[in-house]
Amino acid sequence: MGKEKLLHRSGGIIERTIAGTVTVLRDAVSIELIASKNGFLQRRDPRFRVISAVFLLIAVLMSKSVVELSLIYVSLLVLVLISSIGVLFFLERTLLFVPIFSFFIAVPAIFNFVTPGDPIHTFKLFDHTFSVTRQGIDSAIIFFMRVLDSVSVGVLLVITTRQNVLLRVLRIFRVPQLFVMTMGMTYRYIFLFLDIIQKMFTAIKSRVGFISSSKTGRRVVTANMAGLWLRSYRLQSQVYDAMLSRGYSGEAYVLDEFEAKPMDYFISLLALCALIGTLWMNRFFL
Amino acid sequence: MDEPVFSLKNVEYSYPGHIAALSGVSIDIHKADRVAIIGANGTGKSTMLTMLDALIFASKGDVSAFGKQLTEKSMRDPIVQREFRSKVGFVFQNPDIQLFCPTVREDIVFGPLQFRIDHAEIRRRLDDVVQKLRISHLLKRSPHQLSIGEKKKAAIASTLIMEPDVLLLDEPTAGLDPQTMRDIIDVLDKAHKAGHTVVMATHDLHIVEEIADVVHVFGSNRSIIRSGTPD
Repeated sequence: MGKEKLLHRSGGIIERTIAGTVTVLRDAVSIELIASKNGFLQRRDPRFRVISAVFLLIAVLMSKSVVELSLIYVSLLVLVLISSIGVLFFLERTLLFVPIFSFFIAVPAIFNFVTPGDPIHTFKLFDHTFSVTRQGIDSAIIFFMRVLDSVSVGVLLVITTRQNVLLRVLRIFRVPQLFVMTMGMTYRYIFLFLDIIQKMFTAIKSRVGFISSSKTGRRVVTANMAGLWLRSYRLQSQVYDAMLSRGYSGEAYVLDEFEAKPMDYFISLLALCALIGTLWMNRFFL
Repeated sequence: MDEPVFSLKNVEYSYPGHIAALSGVSIDIHKADRVAIIGANGTGKSTMLTMLDALIFASKGDVSAFGKQLTEKSMRDPIVQREFRSKVGFVFQNPDIQLFCPTVREDIVFGPLQFRIDHAEIRRRLDDVVQKLRISHLLKRSPHQLSIGEKKKAAIASTLIMEPDVLLLDEPTAGLDPQTMRDIIDVLDKAHKAGHTVVMATHDLHIVEEIADVVHVFGSNRSIIRSGTPD
């Protein structure tokens, strides 16, 4: 059993904070490892990966066909397999949560009071007659598949692209350089502060031991939050000095080095075809 | 003797709240000098280096760099600032301050990019500096994934790539294992042989003889109490 699970069980606020930071760091590392593998998707130009994901997401949202949504999902699973991503790791992050969230939203849709249509099963409850309709079940399945496909596209993009690269790609959507750089720095320093928090709470634990009272725990956390805020305030001024020292004068220049290959264009073209095909099917067949 | 690169005359500096950090410091640093600044914690070593990098300015006294007065007003001129920053590189004591980009590679090339140096030239310098410091395997990694020694090397690389005339280093070998310390000393030695002026604050007295020709000792009164050769 993982150390963080043991810490979670002990339940103290300090233990939970330490465990939380360990979990975030561990997840970030495992995703970084996948993103740095030499898989099919990882080799693609990130700009085209993002554009293809956007095309696919629009296609998924526009689609009214269970067959098409299922085909897209199977294609995504194939991409998972050829991109050196563990299938279980991927399903854990997609399939596990999708049914839970979509279930509560989709359940009312199967009844006649939300989606009128041909009744499949009728029952009485508190003097009211309810029916499960065929059209209701269809729309619930489509809703479920749309959520599943959308989450899968998003997760696949995030786990095959390093966070800093993903931020840099925002430049193609004309997001200002300063914003992208600030986001990148924020992401970088989150880990520094996680590290500080983890060490700080481990140090507290080594001195005061296990805190059983949540009130005491809250007091310790509050006092340290103030300390951490002061540290972050000091750090931002020092980082600005470090930037000045290396020639920053109000406008930051960074290296954007992306290299597109024929396969990148082909993948984006496929995604675009999926979108056009969806619109065409919606217009002429559904 | 030629004109000093840096000249400080009776310099004083106080942090907000009138906390004295430097008191009556006078020092001349010449081209291609190797200077070590030693002293106990809180005696003003880091403050002086920060002042030499024109990130803070003297409350009293005169500071000149490359024959020109170094003041807050003069540094407001973008041309003066650009010229000064291209000539002086500063390695901060805490590498986490200096490594603010998402990857080591982006951090190292940040400086040259701000000076709008040609990308091909940046790549050449990058190859050169990562080879010298043997950090090519770190380029794609995020700074938070590095050990303290690797962070120090990356921070030094991010300064060396700017090819500054003067290298200011604030405790570059503090807390490092002997091998990493040796690597950094070798790199600084090569930089000095290539004509760079090296000014370093350090607590590692055993390396002073190897890294410096001139030593200044800061005392608890926050001024230089002794200067001379390492021996």
